[in-house]
Amino acid sequence: MNDSSYVGYMSSESSSHSLDRPTRTVTLSVNGETVEAEVEPRLKLSDFLREECGNRGVRVGCEHGVCGACTVLVDGRATKSCLTYAVQVDGASVTTVEGLAGDDGDLHPIQESFHQEHALQCGFCTSGFVMATKELLDREPDPDRETIEEGLADNICRCTGYQNIYDAVERAAAELADADYPRGED
Amino acid sequence: MSGAEPHSEAAPGEDVEADQESFVGTGLERVEDRRILTGEAEYIHDKAPEDAVHMALARSVHPHATIENVDTSAAEDHPDCLAVVTGEDLQADYNPMPCGLNEFEEWSLAVDKVRYVGEPVVAVVAPDRYAAEDLVDLVSIDYEQHEPVVDALEAREDETVIHEDVGTNVPDGETMEFGEVDEAFDEADNVLEREYSWGRISGVPLETAGVVAEYDTDDDAFDVDCNIQLHTLVDDTVYETLGYPPEKVNLEVPPDVGGSFGTKIAIHRYCVLAAVASQQLDGRPVKFVEDRIENLQGGDMHSSDREYRVRLAYDDDGTIRGVDTWFVDDFGAFPRYPVNQALKPLSVVTNAYDVEHVRYDYELVMTNKTSQTAYRGFGVPAHLHALEMAVDEMAHDLGADPVDVRQANLVQPDQMPHKIPTGNVYDSGDFPEALDRIQNIVEEREVCEGGLLDPEVVEAKREDGKYRGVSYTIHIEPGVSGSDWTDRQRTEDGALEEREREDVEELPEHFRIELQEDGSVQAYLATDTSGQGHQTLVTQLLADQLGVLPSDVEVGYLDSVTAPTEYGTAASRMAVMLSGATEGAAETLRHNCRQLAAEEAFGSALDDIVYRDGGVECQQSGERLELHELAELDSGRGQRLTRVQYDYDHPTTELPEFDEALTQKYPVYPTAAFAANAPIVEVDTKTGEVEILTFYSLRDCGTRLNPTIVDGQAHGGLAQGVGAALMEEFQYDDEGQPQAITMFEYLLPSTKNMPDIELEHSETPSPFTATGAKGTGEGGMIDGPVAIASSINAALREYDFVTNQIPMTPHRIRQRLRETDEGE
Repeated sequence: MNDSSYVGYMSSESSSHSLDRPTRTVTLSVNGETVEAEVEPRLKLSDFLREECGNRGVRVGCEHGVCGACTVLVDGRATKSCLTYAVQVDGASVTTVEGLAGDDGDLHPIQESFHQEHALQCGFCTSGFVMATKELLDREPDPDRETIEEGLADNICRCTGYQNIYDAVERAAAELADADYPRGED
Repeated sequence: MSGAEPHSEAAPGEDVEADQESFVGTGLERVEDRRILTGEAEYIHDKAPEDAVHMALARSVHPHATIENVDTSAAEDHPDCLAVVTGEDLQADYNPMPCGLNEFEEWSLAVDKVRYVGEPVVAVVAPDRYAAEDLVDLVSIDYEQHEPVVDALEAREDETVIHEDVGTNVPDGETMEFGEVDEAFDEADNVLEREYSWGRISGVPLETAGVVAEYDTDDDAFDVDCNIQLHTLVDDTVYETLGYPPEKVNLEVPPDVGGSFGTKIAIHRYCVLAAVASQQLDGRPVKFVEDRIENLQGGDMHSSDREYRVRLAYDDDGTIRGVDTWFVDDFGAFPRYPVNQALKPLSVVTNAYDVEHVRYDYELVMTNKTSQTAYRGFGVPAHLHALEMAVDEMAHDLGADPVDVRQANLVQPDQMPHKIPTGNVYDSGDFPEALDRIQNIVEEREVCEGGLLDPEVVEAKREDGKYRGVSYTIHIEPGVSGSDWTDRQRTEDGALEEREREDVEELPEHFRIELQEDGSVQAYLATDTSGQGHQTLVTQLLADQLGVLPSDVEVGYLDSVTAPTEYGTAASRMAVMLSGATEGAAETLRHNCRQLAAEEAFGSALDDIVYRDGGVECQQSGERLELHELAELDSGRGQRLTRVQYDYDHPTTELPEFDEALTQKYPVYPTAAFAANAPIVEVDTKTGEVEILTFYSLRDCGTRLNPTIVDGQAHGGLAQGVGAALMEEFQYDDEGQPQAITMFEYLLPSTKNMPDIELEHSETPSPFTATGAKGTGEGGMIDGPVAIASSINAALREYDFVTNQIPMTPHRIRQRLRETDEGE
């Protein structure tokens, strides 16, 4: 038994573990803010974002790359953060769902469209779908239904049956076209 | 929390309805969405007290083995190890978990024996989950393996009994007869007998189980934050196991739960283990989040896995005379809490058909597999599949069109309310009209040039080996389960005969409202939620009932200690029970506001005061008080009139139609939502693949309180129905090893598999419920699989093909086609 108080598995300097776990330094941008941290090489990006950066909107549904709930953008590309190690994104720019809404608190048109079209129920997959949609619409501003199905095929929703998600993506595409929203800045 | 405050329960009196526009019946946008869309919603996985430590579980790798030795010394020597819990530790200080059948003893960690792959044996605690999993690798368990019991049909006669003390692999079963079954079968022109199989399928919500438990050393009590479903009903599975009274074990469920579909009813093991570990660690919070492999292989969340034998007695004119079903349900290693899902099909035993003579016969079988829990539909989907496949067979035998056979046997609208042989009562609906309408819609839109069933296209596709077809089927969704019948299998033999109607005890739905000082309305649900939009529903209802804006209403949740024991979110209860409770509480509050004004302000008689548009008015003087003024008036009083609670009784308690079923503990489901379905399928006879081109579904769930949410439930239910019909299954190999332990093997429908869904509606209000609403949370999963299977039969009609297995995977379609070719 070991009663020593635990400090944090990402910050080796202050760790009171008696085992020296190896760490590496990573520096990256998360939602526009620079983050520097000491991390274990085995630390998943999903856990890094949730535990170290406080971006708990990154959801973890399967940890083996099927469900897509953990999808974030890494340098603009939709990426499953459960299949990515934090050390792999050193120097990269990461966007999570928390980085979408405007500074004034207004929902991003994609978020607003998901709301308007009732494209979420339990909501656990929603962060991943919103981020996958962001990448899709950055790449294909005016997707047809088939392109939407293809673009979101790496994400699973267990509640909505996808019908309303398709409608939300189409609505978001229209809104973004109207608003001339900045896209693909990464 | 509100629990400490006195609440009044004044009898509702006369008042005046608010006369603003109605929010109920509109697709009010959900109040839950914003926090979810911004990532701010706090699911149980997100709960992280600063000093929390993390638990991981060492699980059995064998399906059936005696535990020879458990060596945790290497784990304990590891510097990261904070605590180790074994089955022996639990035996010393705690209790076994309550089981669904009385004679079983199951510990939260295996003792002496393991009975399925994935059964937890040792719990370890470390500062973080990564380290905890390192410790799991250091736990060494020696086993002596036994022959696994894998096949449910063989298990019934197997020499190997997996619970020696119980002495049989078939611990529960019953044969029930309604009407004159043998006579009906003797007298009918024809009898057919067929076998059907329903695979091991379940909900697989995207969020796995999770818990953060904290032991309070001062109070000798536990706080257990978790995503358990029915936390005010099944909290006994946690406090009884810990050996504490209910008020010492507080279960709290976050407002956002990432789906459950019934499967999280039975996660008490995790709650107990985290609580035990926290107690060992003098109150340090202990967190556990099930990972996906744990969830799929040993997460106590598989569901119905049945082998059916169906006999139909029918006359040459297509009249069904009798139904006789027998099934074996593979319940896995332990009879989990909701064993009564073997009984729910009794509530819909004849589906939409008027049949008087019914035999219902089942056996629950124990095997070396993960235990079952509830899943959307609660045992009904498998029954409807077996019954309707037999009806398709019957139509084939008669050389008739299946839709004509179905129409000929439907309950007619003038027979409503209609008592079925098992005592349940269908409340309302015009089944023949619904079936007719969906057929007309599809024929008009699709059996025409340019349509999916354009005869020329259908013919051309056939030359490619692709067979298109559609079947028109109709299905009942029994809603709003009673609670009294659910322990039928734990009721002593003979006790049922002596029961009187007064012995029936139904659980009401509990609800609270508190008027805030700023005039806003704080409501509390006593149930938990996993995506159904209950906060929105309650907001709509209260806005109407109290004459306020939706933005004036806040909806919170009660924990298990504050709330009374009640049923909660299951069995499609909420639209009816929650709306009833909300309306009752609002009525009480309106009355109390009038009384408060009479006593404290206007000095006039109660009858002179009306409640109107979010305030009360004295009709004589014209004086008016707004809600915030009423809250202020009330603030100094001991007995607070602006804090009300209400318990809405189950609808059957006032309906003598249900007396017989209630007294005999047969399932009572007082609402009959229904769907007439027509999925258009294309079967590739070369590959065995089934594509659903469009799924037409006409759905009726009575009054729709929020049509947007109702449609969302239909879409989602049908998606799960598509998964069940074609791809989902927890298979085991002959050695008892689970074959679907990742999402690469347990296949969920994605955007690539989901067809377009064309919803049509009708609205037949329930005469049995306060709002006319019927329960509708489970429909698509209940009727989707059978509807798809029947359409596959229609597409392959020329092969005389009837599906005999769910899911119908490509491999099974090809195999069945070969069998059919060989004239089997």
